[in-house]
Amino acid sequence: MPETVIEIENLYKMYRLGVIGTGSFRQDLQRWWTANILRKEDPFFQVNHEYLHKASPDTIMALQNINLEVKHGEAIGIIGKNGSGKSTLLKIISRIVRPTHGTVRGMGKVSSLLEVGTGFHQELTGRENIYISGYILGMSKPEIRRKFDEIVAFSGVEQFIDTPVKRYSSGMYVRLAFAVAAHLEPDILIVDEVLAVGDADFQKKCLGKMREVSQAEGRTILFVSHSMQAIKNLCDKAVWLNQGKMQAFGPSAAIVNKYLTSTQDAHLMQVWQSPDEAPGNELVRIRSVELEPQLASLDAPLDIRTPLTVRVQFWNMQEESVLSIGVHLFTAGGECIFDLPSPAVTCAKGLVEGECTIPGNFLNDGSYYVSIIIVRDTSISLYYHEECLRFELEDYRENIQWYGKWWGTVRPQFPIQLRQAEIMIPQEGI
Amino acid sequence: MPIATQEWEWEIGSRTSIWNHSLKELWSYRHLLFGLVRRNFILNYQQTVLGPIWILFQPALTLVTFVIVFHKIAGISTGTLPPVLFYAAGIVLWNFLSDSFIGTASTFKENVQVFSKVYFPRIIMPISVIGTQLLRFAMQLLMLLAIVFYYSITTDLQLQTGLWPLAFPVAILLTAGISLGMGLLFSILTAKYRDFSNLVALGIRLLMFVTPVIYPLAAVPENMRWLVELNPITPVFELFRLSILGEGTLTLVHFIYSLSFTIVLLTGSMLLFNKQGDKLIDVV
Repeated sequence: MPETVIEIENLYKMYRLGVIGTGSFRQDLQRWWTANILRKEDPFFQVNHEYLHKASPDTIMALQNINLEVKHGEAIGIIGKNGSGKSTLLKIISRIVRPTHGTVRGMGKVSSLLEVGTGFHQELTGRENIYISGYILGMSKPEIRRKFDEIVAFSGVEQFIDTPVKRYSSGMYVRLAFAVAAHLEPDILIVDEVLAVGDADFQKKCLGKMREVSQAEGRTILFVSHSMQAIKNLCDKAVWLNQGKMQAFGPSAAIVNKYLTSTQDAHLMQVWQSPDEAPGNELVRIRSVELEPQLASLDAPLDIRTPLTVRVQFWNMQEESVLSIGVHLFTAGGECIFDLPSPAVTCAKGLVEGECTIPGNFLNDGSYYVSIIIVRDTSISLYYHEECLRFELEDYRENIQWYGKWWGTVRPQFPIQLRQAEIMIPQEGI
Repeated sequence: MPIATQEWEWEIGSRTSIWNHSLKELWSYRHLLFGLVRRNFILNYQQTVLGPIWILFQPALTLVTFVIVFHKIAGISTGTLPPVLFYAAGIVLWNFLSDSFIGTASTFKENVQVFSKVYFPRIIMPISVIGTQLLRFAMQLLMLLAIVFYYSITTDLQLQTGLWPLAFPVAILLTAGISLGMGLLFSILTAKYRDFSNLVALGIRLLMFVTPVIYPLAAVPENMRWLVELNPITPVFELFRLSILGEGTLTLVHFIYSLSFTIVLLTGSMLLFNKQGDKLIDVV
């Protein structure tokens, strides 16, 4: 049974909002006087256990009651929205900040990579920066010397190694910085969202290196990322933090699914009860628009495989007329992907409904919005209901060892093949 | 394996112990220390034409100014020593003290970016500043010795140093100790209360006037001498001049006063630095 290398017990972290301390030297002195000399209660600051559970307007609980055990060789992903306490947790484990309450115990050397290029100095050359940054991250001189060539080769900046890094392009800078970090050999590696930088090619290299570290070398990794694909592929288990609390902990695929479903359910439906309050005009009024994903199971996330059904209902306020609708799909950037008109139908006064299904495995991952247009006699625009539905599709990849951003607005599965056409036979005697 | 029996190598709790660095841990970061000293040294002269010559240029210029202002114009006594030698010794040691102090006093303000992203014993940073200053001091000391040598061959100057040169390392250690002690204290204060950063540069400038840098202790009038003697840095300067130039006023009591002050200051501020270091990351 693998041994536990990190044990987090009952961990709390509280931050005080507002100014540093109580504000000024005089006030702090006064505080110290009342608390330590007069032995009265400190009016500004008390840490006792009750206090930890009490929400106070000028404090914020960055972490509450975190309990976690990490076994040797595990890769653990930490997910959650911005401000959910992910980085604070990593900072506590890396000994950068102290918890307000609770303990973290562990075995082995910890290296943390909370930023690319920690300790880098603009004025120094690449070579000097490799050394200084390596030392800061906890490497020894012989260790860096041994890996120097490897680091330089990994970064791909051989030519510029003796140039001050301020003259580097930002890409070169990041590559060099990551190269140093990638050659750390700690027992426990802590990584915070460093993949947000760099181009797709570089991200691929980084993730490859991380997989190598976790799987081949059997190191323990704690990894924060917003890329759910990366978490699913790299990590065995995942922790979901929500407002400083542990929402769930378990196998990464299940946790990622839970997390994604919880973040997605908004903007999928608009309903109006009566024509008076509904958007529209004297000719037509919208009753409802709805986007219904056809999920395989209830807790599955909305990803690129999911077929989506757009439904619209509107009140036709005119006498008999020939109506049709158009469904317009846009990328988040406002580029129209398609404009799909329905057949024209003769409708009497009353409720009219339309439906359109966007198949799965058609759109790429990303954010999209839908606008709906109602047209009479296939030529006269009656009402344009803009940006009425918004949705986001998560990425999904099978058997693909690459985590960069997939190009394109659509990702259709058209037939595509590759085969050997002819085998080159080495010919003798020529 | 039951948790209770498991041996942990490290533990992070809510309380900072008074001293949580083992010497073994500090030793494992020695490469960082030397790397930082090297970096600080290089950075000072990056993209300057004169480069490291500035290290000598700056005290040389100060020396000329001091000789003109304090010797020629104000006519302050320098004892039996030639004014150039006397001022040179004072300037070299004072530069070491004040640059070390100013450098270490901004430890938190200048390294917050690094401190909030990676852990290493924080004390390494200020110690590296002292190391860099020590390197510069060594170069300036060579210049001082060159001046002494020049005087001893061109004039009939006879320096009666006796066994005092043996006390030289003590004077240097005390200077380093005092500047590190004050620097650590002020690095905490300036990080917490910005008010103090104004005090650092002003304070050190004023401190020079109650330290025998531009005058020997012996030349201070009796009724004012207590003020200069109260300053624990005074014996260090007298000791330094004794060891290099063979002239100075130093009693055993006064030396012990200075030594105890240094030990108390350094220990106290190291403990404070260690204890406050973690907390400061939350507020800086």
